[in-house]
Amino acid sequence: MSFDENLHELAEYVVKYGLSLGADQVEAYTLYGSAKSVQVERGAIRRFTDISNSGLGIRIIKNKSLGMASTTIFTKESIENSVKSAYELAQVSPPDQNFNSLPFDDKPSPDIPDRFDQAVIDIDVEEFTEMILQSIQQAQITDDTIISGNFTTGYGKRFIINSLGIDRTSTQSSVGGYLGVKIEEGDDIGNAYYYDASNVLSKFEYEKIGKVAGERAKKMLGSKKIDTAVLPVLLDPDSTYGTIEPILSNGINAFSVFNRTAFFVDKIGDKIADDKLNISDDPFYPGGTDSAPFDDEGVVPQKLKLVENGILQTYITDSYTAPLVGLENTGHASRSSFSSGPRPTPYTLNIEPGEISKDNLLEELKEGILLIGSPIGSRGSNPQISAQINQGFFVKNGEILYPVKNTVIGSTVFDIYNKIENLSKETENRNGHQAPWMLLKDLKVSGGK
Amino acid sequence: MLDTLEEIINKIQLSNRDFLDIRYGYAMGESFTVRNGRFDSVSNQTTGGIAVRALIDNFWGFTTIVKTDRESILKAANKAIKMARAGSKYTKQERVICDDWVFEGSGSTKIEIDPREIDKETKFDKIVQAEKTAREYSDSIVEASSSYQESHSKEIIVNNKGTKVSNETHVIRLIKNIVGRQGVKMQNVFDSAGGAGGWELVEKWDPEKEGLKSAVLVEKLLMAREPPSGKMNIIMDPSLTGVFIHEAFGHACEADGIIAKNSILEGKINKQVGVEGINVYDDPTIPNLRGSFEYDSEGTKTRKRTLVENGILKEYFHTLETATALGMEPNGSGRAMNFNVAPQARMGNTYVDNGDMTLEEIAEITKNGVYLKDSYGGYVVPAKGQFYFTCQLGYFIENGEITDMMGNVGMSGMTLEVLQNTYAIGKQWEPAFEGSCGKGGQWVPVIGGGPNLGVSDLVVGGTN
Repeated sequence: MSFDENLHELAEYVVKYGLSLGADQVEAYTLYGSAKSVQVERGAIRRFTDISNSGLGIRIIKNKSLGMASTTIFTKESIENSVKSAYELAQVSPPDQNFNSLPFDDKPSPDIPDRFDQAVIDIDVEEFTEMILQSIQQAQITDDTIISGNFTTGYGKRFIINSLGIDRTSTQSSVGGYLGVKIEEGDDIGNAYYYDASNVLSKFEYEKIGKVAGERAKKMLGSKKIDTAVLPVLLDPDSTYGTIEPILSNGINAFSVFNRTAFFVDKIGDKIADDKLNISDDPFYPGGTDSAPFDDEGVVPQKLKLVENGILQTYITDSYTAPLVGLENTGHASRSSFSSGPRPTPYTLNIEPGEISKDNLLEELKEGILLIGSPIGSRGSNPQISAQINQGFFVKNGEILYPVKNTVIGSTVFDIYNKIENLSKETENRNGHQAPWMLLKDLKVSGGK
Repeated sequence: MLDTLEEIINKIQLSNRDFLDIRYGYAMGESFTVRNGRFDSVSNQTTGGIAVRALIDNFWGFTTIVKTDRESILKAANKAIKMARAGSKYTKQERVICDDWVFEGSGSTKIEIDPREIDKETKFDKIVQAEKTAREYSDSIVEASSSYQESHSKEIIVNNKGTKVSNETHVIRLIKNIVGRQGVKMQNVFDSAGGAGGWELVEKWDPEKEGLKSAVLVEKLLMAREPPSGKMNIIMDPSLTGVFIHEAFGHACEADGIIAKNSILEGKINKQVGVEGINVYDDPTIPNLRGSFEYDSEGTKTRKRTLVENGILKEYFHTLETATALGMEPNGSGRAMNFNVAPQARMGNTYVDNGDMTLEEIAEITKNGVYLKDSYGGYVVPAKGQFYFTCQLGYFIENGEITDMMGNVGMSGMTLEVLQNTYAIGKQWEPAFEGSCGKGGQWVPVIGGGPNLGVSDLVVGGTN
């Protein structure tokens, strides 16, 4: 007996078998995934890849003790061994008195437009390669431009069944890719990369990947070391999203709040940022690559206002953490893989725009740094920021003078949120992630000059 | 399984120029995490399947399956060949694998005490005691966590050139991460112990002593001075030297990046890249280190690699493909995270070799700067030669003396400058950084190490 063809049946069997062993509660999370990739090296196609990403994750609860197991081998023997392993671990691991219950939710899950596209599944590898060659052509700024990258099409089918009655299935297609471009002029190197991803083939901007990566690499030629100074920093929408999202994700997830390592613990109703900052989370955003009709425990989420005029509105929770922080389950359980346990994580953030044009923001920059596709990265639950600039430019009197190298921004996550001087009225929407340009005032910029 | 794979590969007719390998991979592991007195992960993991690579007419086809019966493997092999044939029209670059390198044999990490024979309670006890001791040390400790991980993996590799290899790797690890908080100020201390081997590597790990050590350090860090900013002289401890050499130099020595023209060290073999006294090696054959193994995922027997000798670049990390392309010898660097991915050129245990100076002597000639310790990790953009790494703590160096403690900070440097800017090398190297290295979505266990190292002109990204 093998479950290769029917992972829903497999999930049902796992729950039934786990209960028959004596488990109090059982959850089966199965993922069928298939991915076809095309690798680019030195501007040519190097490799075709076709792999399976399928797997099974099991959670078993016995007397408030947890046992987990995972496997990629779908024979009956392997499945039963994994269920037994999870059960045995639940028998010996110490009980967690904070554990309440796996979730139950019978709300209907919505259909999200542009979540699945048959064209992504149907595209032939040679047709896909032709698209990639067009992208490479766009990146070929000079005859000796060096281009590398990878492009992937795939789809995943997710089944979540638990012994309390959760029984959910969803399917998502995906197409994405990136190109890294390097241009050399003597000892001078210009290097940049760009990516795009979509659930829908017709919305995949493959030519833009090459065009933007090539243009940016050219602009990175002539980089210079700068003096250490306190400067304003202007971030493009990609950099804004990549800076704001991780801070919020670590700042308001109920797991970290309960453990008191969240940046914004005990801050609901309090000011956590400049009052220009407004952020909402829309799990059902059409076509969003991180949108989902239900979370990784099978609970249907809702659209949430997270930050309004700089004031924190709520935390995000899952079945374990909601009772611990005294909130409803917001349906934000997310697993990094089928073998991991869930943690609350945002879906698709909308960082709302301001009122000034992005051109004005740049023009008014007397002396500062412009970041393009280069977030000010924070590190997990550590509020200290010490982030290298990977793609940044020195700006004087509104004019972009040259790219910077060997430069680090030192700050804290709290400062980043409170030093928002302005947000542009223009926003960019990357795979559902929406953000404006953002001007931060007075950041310590360490240079190598 | 070896016989089955050999039988299948012998059935497939290919030209002498073509290459086909079949790799069986199976891994099982256990991991437990206790956080603030509660077990939030108690897990058993199994992965297994077959990977097939075909290099036909200069093009690669790669596929994986989870079924391991003869018919399915044969079908997968034919699929990989078909994919390679379909793709060959897209490349004009020559890509072959030399016939000369054929390996036969079996290898295994030496284990004295098999962790699979140790009961769960004994494993739990290690992490529970470490976590509890740290958590109860003071009210400032807001989160204490400790994890236990063991993994046991087996690879069987055959190829059409004649390689037949079976290799087992066993890795064990204990981790602790202690977070202290006073208002908006937070500091964490992370460290780990273990390596390639069995329970004997962690048996003597004293959980109470370890928990206490981290908690005391976190308390001190909460009172420490803010790190400085700007270009300055730095002394790195062995952990930081390890991450520094891994990020700043090791990645740029990976020959797949050289072939792809994405490394700043392309064309630099036998050229001076550092000061005369500096030697850099990578040695996966050192027993019991986290990045140790006998055969790589292409079946090549691994060996010590001399990356830099007296400041001169000597060697890259090779797969069979890159060694053929560059006319060099393979050195067993083709590592794959699991059966579902293809091998890439990777590091193992990378370190800077010993010099002759004490820490005090290095501080004296440094005069003013910072002495930084214990890395969290880092990253590099090899094409640009710009790297970044972080430390957990440090000390100011003022007038040649190591003085006040400072909190964590990140640093940036340029690959081609740093080995030239090395002005002092300590007496005794240690394999101090036990990490997992990420590349192309694959994570493999590695070690970074070295002695204390004095380097000028690195950029420190503090707030003062």
